[in-house]
Amino acid sequence: MVELAGLSDRLTAEQLRGRRRARLRDAAVSFGMMGPAVLLYTVMTVVPVGVAVYLSLTDWDGFSTASFIGLDNYKHLFDDPSSTDAWYVTALIAGAGTVLMVGLGLVYALALKGRSRSNSFFRAVAYFPHVISALILGYLWAAILGTNGAINNTLAKFGVEPVGFLFDETFALISLIAVIVWAGFGFNVVLFVAALQTVPAELLEAAAIDGASRRQINLRVVVPMIAPVVTVATVLNLVGLIRAYDIVVSLTGGGPAGSTQTFTYLILARSFEGTKVGYATAQAVFLMVVSAALALFVTALRNRQDQAATGS
Amino acid sequence: MVVLEAQADDRPKAARGSRPRSDDTVRADREESRSPVRRVLLGVLLVVMVVPIYLLVVNAFKSQQEILDNPFSIPFGGLTFAHMSAAISSPQFNVIGGYGFTLFLVVLVDVFCILLAGPAAYAIARSLQRRTQLVLLYFLAGTFIPGAAVIIPVIYVLREIGLANTVTGLVAHDVASTLPVSIFLFVGFIRTIPVDIDHAATIDGAGRYRTFWTIIFPLMRPAVVTVLILNSIGIWNDFVSPQILLSPSSGHYTVTTAIYAGISQYSTDLTKVFPNLLLAVAPVVIFFIYMQRHIISGLTVGAVKG
Repeated sequence: MVELAGLSDRLTAEQLRGRRRARLRDAAVSFGMMGPAVLLYTVMTVVPVGVAVYLSLTDWDGFSTASFIGLDNYKHLFDDPSSTDAWYVTALIAGAGTVLMVGLGLVYALALKGRSRSNSFFRAVAYFPHVISALILGYLWAAILGTNGAINNTLAKFGVEPVGFLFDETFALISLIAVIVWAGFGFNVVLFVAALQTVPAELLEAAAIDGASRRQINLRVVVPMIAPVVTVATVLNLVGLIRAYDIVVSLTGGGPAGSTQTFTYLILARSFEGTKVGYATAQAVFLMVVSAALALFVTALRNRQDQAATGS
Repeated sequence: MVVLEAQADDRPKAARGSRPRSDDTVRADREESRSPVRRVLLGVLLVVMVVPIYLLVVNAFKSQQEILDNPFSIPFGGLTFAHMSAAISSPQFNVIGGYGFTLFLVVLVDVFCILLAGPAAYAIARSLQRRTQLVLLYFLAGTFIPGAAVIIPVIYVLREIGLANTVTGLVAHDVASTLPVSIFLFVGFIRTIPVDIDHAATIDGAGRYRTFWTIIFPLMRPAVVTVLILNSIGIWNDFVSPQILLSPSSGHYTVTTAIYAGISQYSTDLTKVFPNLLLAVAPVVIFFIYMQRHIISGLTVGAVKG
């Protein structure tokens, strides 16, 4: 690692050989340091993806021997109603969830950006569900929103008919999105507050002196300043929501009548109950491609806006 | 995730930094904190976020009839520990027993993650070769893989190497799943540590492992704390991997799989639902209150500097 600059022209053949050996030894040590991590990651993460691609080209049912059927599973992806329904549900959750979570995140971050004890308290209040398992939050909300839940029992006292928060197809989807937003927007609040605190005070003062109102300052100065973080949050929310699973299991179990079945839920349900493992892995591979594409797309969009803004 | 520029030390500095504040900004902040819109916003936040937890706590100590009749009330005379102690000692799906196994899993995964990710990140961060940088990209690609969706092929692989349905297999999978983000954060942090320190250690005769573990690793404390918090919360809350990689026949339950096994059968018996959920939530919430500052700054590391 130590460079002996300026001495190389005076090195003898013997010394050159020595240096080559040293470099080899260095490479061996590097390899030794990275090797175990690379090996485990390859075997447990990369190989399964390869296996998924292989299985997706077969009609494997989980038990018998698989036979190769080419791209049939992928062709089936778009003419299978339960698959397209799951896409619709997933897209709605990811789209509406991301918009609401980023929007609420921004509103509350602007309200809580100051450094005070009460603000840290409220930030923690917004954030805490993020450390609790989504499965458990789903069960908690199921107990609150169910026909016998706290809300319906209270409504009943005022003579209101029970609302099928989890048992009406439309309401169930709305409830699912609401619970997901409830559990997740706090992460954006904390993220945005951290970004807002890096906006230089001089800039805000200058805008105030120029006669801008608080609202104008927020919309025209502060939000554009933290735009890169908003992009990061958008990508993280989208990619996270497109994989929603745990909360679906515990809140609605995919029902009623499959109206809240997300793509990941469908994949795992198919793999176990339906025994169509080949088809399910084709869906998994497709999901992976979509989530990578989404992440790259949002980032690229952002980069282009940045370039347009700086005029380059 | 590729867009995150890991500058692990930036965040705490930015959060704590004492930027000189003029009287004007202080006054403006105070005005802002008194605005009625803000009060309404914060009032709604407090109610919406706290009421579900309040319901969870009070209803864990009430009878089924009390929960149904008056979900929001606290019947001081009628509170009972009976259902809670039944949940604690339940032989069917023991959440308390789940604590032990889950904690064991968390510690094991944390230790192996640091042992593998630390040296790997060090080798990547200190190498000037393009080949080594490709290794970082290789790990980053892992953040695009939806873990839950490709868990079936993981079973396939575990079966091939004889680790199907074993704790070892689950730990191997969990450690592998923590590597991409951990290595990413570590590399970003190590790059902020001056290389001169390594050179000094080399001149004093330390090998690279020794340089890493005795000199660099202790300097990485903030990044290590972040990674440990991220991994611990992730593994503690994980449901899909233990559920699918360890079948019930293995006899091992994590908190989440114990809750799943219990609640999905007895979802109408609220005297089973609330106490068990409270038991599952309590350790995490206590941990959160205790470590709040670290958790919040830790989880936002890197994402801010976009």
